[in-house]
Amino acid sequence: MNMSCEQIGELLPDYLQGSLSGAKKSMVEAHLAECADCKDEVAVWQKLALLPVEQPSAESRLRFEAMLHAYQEGRSDRGKAHFERERSVHEPARPGSTWSLWQWLRTPVGAVAWSAALLLIGLFAGNFYGARTTHEPTASNQDQIAQMELELRNTRQLVVLSMLQQQSASERLQGVSYSQREQQLDPQVTTALLHTLRYDGSVDVRLAALGALSNHSAQPQVRRGVLDALQEQQSPLVQVALIDQLVEWRDREAAQQLKNFEQKPDLNPAVKQRAAWAVSKLN
Amino acid sequence: MLQVRDGAGETLGVLFDRYQTPLYNFYAKLTGDRTLSEDLVQEVFLRILKYSRSYQPGTPFRAWIYQIARNARVDHYRKTPKHISFEPEMAPPVKPKDEAQESQEAEMLHRALLQMPEEKREILILSRFQELKYEEIARLLGCELGTVKTRIHRAIQELRHVFRQLESGATAAGSAGAASAPAIPPRRVGS
Repeated sequence: MNMSCEQIGELLPDYLQGSLSGAKKSMVEAHLAECADCKDEVAVWQKLALLPVEQPSAESRLRFEAMLHAYQEGRSDRGKAHFERERSVHEPARPGSTWSLWQWLRTPVGAVAWSAALLLIGLFAGNFYGARTTHEPTASNQDQIAQMELELRNTRQLVVLSMLQQQSASERLQGVSYSQREQQLDPQVTTALLHTLRYDGSVDVRLAALGALSNHSAQPQVRRGVLDALQEQQSPLVQVALIDQLVEWRDREAAQQLKNFEQKPDLNPAVKQRAAWAVSKLN
Repeated sequence: MLQVRDGAGETLGVLFDRYQTPLYNFYAKLTGDRTLSEDLVQEVFLRILKYSRSYQPGTPFRAWIYQIARNARVDHYRKTPKHISFEPEMAPPVKPKDEAQESQEAEMLHRALLQMPEEKREILILSRFQELKYEEIARLLGCELGTVKTRIHRAIQELRHVFRQLESGATAAGSAGAASAPAIPPRRVGS
C-alpha cells in the first residue's frame, strides 16, 4: 500500500530513532525508496552526525570548583562575582535591574544586609514604644549556616537518588556507598535503597544496598522491606544474605515468614537449609 | 559538617563530570556561543545546589537537569537581549578538517540550525544530540508525545529546506568563481 508523505511523516520520528519494526518499518522504507523529498529529510537528519561533540574548556572544571567552594563557604555571592568578572572579558556590561537587586538580596550578604536593616527597624520601633530590645548579632549567621547545611544535605540525598538510577552498575554501587555516609537515612533515600534491594539488576548492587540498610534496622520500614525483598529474590546469594541479616537483627516476627519461605517448591537446597537454620535461631 | 560538605562537593563533582559536556553541547548548538554556553553550564550547577529540594525522587534525573538548563537559558535572555549569540561567524563550532567537504557541510548544517526558529532548533537538538527519548522531551516541554513527534518532523522539514538553500547558494557562489564573495550573509533569527 502506498502511503502519503503526511502519513510517513507521522512515522518518521520513530523510524529515525530506530523504534519502528515490522510492517511499519517496511512501509516507511518502501516510501523512502520512491519519494526523494522524504528520503532527503532522512539524509539531512543523518548528516547532523557531522556536527562534532565539543568539549568545554579545562577552565570550566576549575570554575565549577571555585563556585562550589564559594557556595560551601557561604559566600556564593563571591562565586557569582567571579563568574561575572570572567564573563565581562567576553561580553559587554549588562544593565542593572530590580531583578539583580532581588538576586542580591537572596545571597547571604544580601540576607545579612536585610537582617541588619530589619534589626535597625526593630531597634527603632523598640525605642519608639519604650521597650528594650536585645539582639544576638550572630543569630542570622547561624541561621544561614544551618540553612546551608540543610541544602548540602539535600544535595547529597539528591545525588544518591540520581546515582541509584544510573545505567551502569558501578555508578549505582557508588550511589549506595554515598548513602552510607549519612548517620540518619532520609526516608526518600531509604525508599530508594529498598527499591534497589528489591529490583536492581545487579546482584552486587543489591547486596551493597542490603549492607547500607543493615545499620538501620530500627526503622520498621527497613525490616519490612528486607522481608518483602526475600519473597521476590531469585539469586541464592542475595537470599542467603537477606536471611542472615534477619537473623542478625533477631527479628522474631520474621520467623513465621521464613518458615513459609522455606516451603517454597523450587528453592535452592543451600538456601532452604539456611532458612531452616534461621527459623531455629529465631525461635 | 565537614564530611557533609565534602561529600556533597565530591558527589556534585561526579554529576558535573557526567553532565557538563552534554549540557555544554546543548547550549553551544542552541546559541552558537561558547562563552555563554560555559557560563550557563555553571549556572545550572549552581541551581542544582540551590534547588535540590525541588527534585522529586522517582522522576528521571536527566529530565530534571534539562528542565533546569532550559530555565537557566530563558532567565539569561530575560536579563540580556540576544544580539551577539546568533551570528554564526561569532563562534563557528567546526574547525577545518582534512575532509573539506564534510567540514563545509557541517558548517552549513550548523548555520542552518542557527537560522531556524528557536523552538524548532531546540527540539531538534534535544532529540538528535542529547539522547533524550521522545517521552522525556514531551515531559520536558509539557506536551503530548504525538505533538513532540509532529514538531520534530516539522523541524526536520525546515532544517532540510534551510540547509539545501544554503547549499545551493554556496554552490552558485562557487560556480560564479567569485573568490571573495561572502558565503552566506548571517541572518538574525527572532525567538
